Amino acid sequence: MAEMKSDRTPAQEKIIRIEHLSKVFRDGSRTVKAVDDVSFEVRKGEIFGLLGPNGAGKSTIIRILTTLLLPTSGRAFVGPYDITRQPEEIRRVIGVCPQNSTLDLELTAYDNLDFYGNLLDLDPRTLDARIRELLEMADLSDRAHAPVQTLSGGMRRKLEIVRAFIHKPLILFLDEPTIGLDPESRREVWRQVTALNREKTTIILTTHYMDEAEKLCDRIAFVDKGRLLRLDTTENLKHSLPAGDVIEIGIERVDEETLAALRAESRLTSVEVREHKLVISAENGSRVLPSIVEIFERHALPMTSIAIRSPSIEDVFIYLTGRRLDGGPGMKREGLP
Amino acid sequence: MRGAVAIFRRDFKKFLGNPVIIVMTLFMPIMYLIIFGNAMGGTITHIPIGVAQEEPFEDATPLFLSAVEGLGRYHTAGNPRIFDVTVFSGEATAKRAFEEGKVMAVAIFPSRVSNDHAVRLYLDSSEYMIPGLIQAGVSGVMAQSGAQNPLQVSKIYGEIDYIQFFGVGVIVMAIFMTTMMGGGIGLIRDRENGIIEGYLVTPVKRSSIILGIIASGTVKAFMAGFIIFLVDIVVAGVTIRSMETFLMVLVVLFIVSIGITSLVVSFSSRFSAQQEYASVVAFLNLVLFMTSGAFYPVLGMPDWLRWIATINPEYYAIHALRSLILRGQANLIGMDLLAIFIFSGIAIALGITTYRRTLE
Repeated sequence: MAEMKSDRTPAQEKIIRIEHLSKVFRDGSRTVKAVDDVSFEVRKGEIFGLLGPNGAGKSTIIRILTTLLLPTSGRAFVGPYDITRQPEEIRRVIGVCPQNSTLDLELTAYDNLDFYGNLLDLDPRTLDARIRELLEMADLSDRAHAPVQTLSGGMRRKLEIVRAFIHKPLILFLDEPTIGLDPESRREVWRQVTALNREKTTIILTTHYMDEAEKLCDRIAFVDKGRLLRLDTTENLKHSLPAGDVIEIGIERVDEETLAALRAESRLTSVEVREHKLVISAENGSRVLPSIVEIFERHALPMTSIAIRSPSIEDVFIYLTGRRLDGGPGMKREGLP
Repeated sequence: MRGAVAIFRRDFKKFLGNPVIIVMTLFMPIMYLIIFGNAMGGTITHIPIGVAQEEPFEDATPLFLSAVEGLGRYHTAGNPRIFDVTVFSGEATAKRAFEEGKVMAVAIFPSRVSNDHAVRLYLDSSEYMIPGLIQAGVSGVMAQSGAQNPLQVSKIYGEIDYIQFFGVGVIVMAIFMTTMMGGGIGLIRDRENGIIEGYLVTPVKRSSIILGIIASGTVKAFMAGFIIFLVDIVVAGVTIRSMETFLMVLVVLFIVSIGITSLVVSFSSRFSAQQEYASVVAFLNLVLFMTSGAFYPVLGMPDWLRWIATINPEYYAIHALRSLILRGQANLIGMDLLAIFIFSGIAIALGITTYRRTLE
């Protein structure tokens, strides 16, 4: 699916600038720092991913940039506009597809688009043509006059994404665009996102799915607990792991002795236990594999599967935070939750 | 069996975990008992009536004196007096007060002491039960004083059935009910589903959002009221006497509709859960409708309910509509119009300010 990613070099022009942004929520006596001194820039024309587990602060950043929330401190600019001073101008140049659907289920697909066309003050003479174009783009032309509640989850998402695109915004915000979708629908949505990006729209998406970020994004910002951990191009991130390959070994059980033996093997950079598998990092996977197998045989431990692969963005995330993106315990590293 | 117990426990846990619902489920029937019980079927007292003696006025006749005395004291056992009697100096002034709605009936007594001159009783027949009580009171007092004079009764608005009396109240009820139940819950659902938040990331103005919401609610409420009005004409047989009163009816419907819609917009912005809103609004609806005089004359209610009636916009709206539809008297609704104007003005201000705050 790598071909789906935009292959043109993004222009270096900045379209979003965030400087020391913080947002503190007060809930009674408890204060929660949802965003903690985050600074980054988004380049014009790129697909920019905000990646992090649930509750990392991704949506809060999006809500601030889309003028729904004011930051507690720090500044942010969308295009030339300051989010605190010129929210009206910003709303004209952005399209937003929020995490929870805001489609009107009782209205038809056409009417939903028509409604937003009017809210966005589009030229009424060209609105009909634009709606048909968008329906075509979302593959929904034949369902134009069906109430949205009769559409599948994937269709609804696509409709919502094109709705956010109705006024050809400079920047499109997609908050968890594929959450809760089946794999086929997710691929459909991805195709659509790349298609919109080809129309010179800068796209900012949040996700906690690694594969999604990996397939779509030109650059990825890792966010965790309100802080920006790392921001780089997807390729650079993947190459940032100290070890070259990831070896996954399916297991039913493991004992401390085997683990100790594996960890004693100097060519392995790390050995982690996850659910029903061991994840081993090594400089050169195929070279060290025989000795790993040998260790397993010596301890009479059955293996259910072996796989060697290049590191994924998930591995990078786990490396950076010690946790998996879905919040589960990833590595059993000391000193980390 | 275990499944049944599990389901029972789950339902009960949820029930106990929601105190608002527990209170409301118990509170509602108790309120029904107290409000419905007091609002309906109470003894009607303090009915304002006027008495006068025919011209030429030479001296108060014994019949007149005993009637004024008798009507003033007229009561049923253990209750306060039924009539508040005003003695007018002449027929003309008495009738003017009657036309202005200050008294609900006038009795004109003959100026000569004789048994063949009729006592004329003019009744406002647009009220429920009250005309009958007045007529019974006047003939009872006359019988007591031994007068043989015939009683000549004029129901100045003709025979009005209960369904007509009640039907006019239902117009206002329709406006309040559709707006509070349908409109308000729709607004909360839109907010819960993030549809309102969807508006906020578009350049549409905050004031446009509020204007659009209030306008659509007002038209829906107005249509509900207007349809019941048409049903009243067809089913209950109310008649519209002139174009002027017809237009005035529409004006009243409109002012009430925009007022209640704004109030509901304000309310719905303060509640986050549909269920809580529905409970509170059901209660409010009960109180407003019961004290509105739609079912039963407000004069028959205990003092505390009458107090609620004086601040109840439904009461004024129903009174205005009865004056227009049943009485055909546009000149009687000045006070009512003022009251519903004030109500709607306050409601609009409240609706705009509170809703704007939720949009921020």
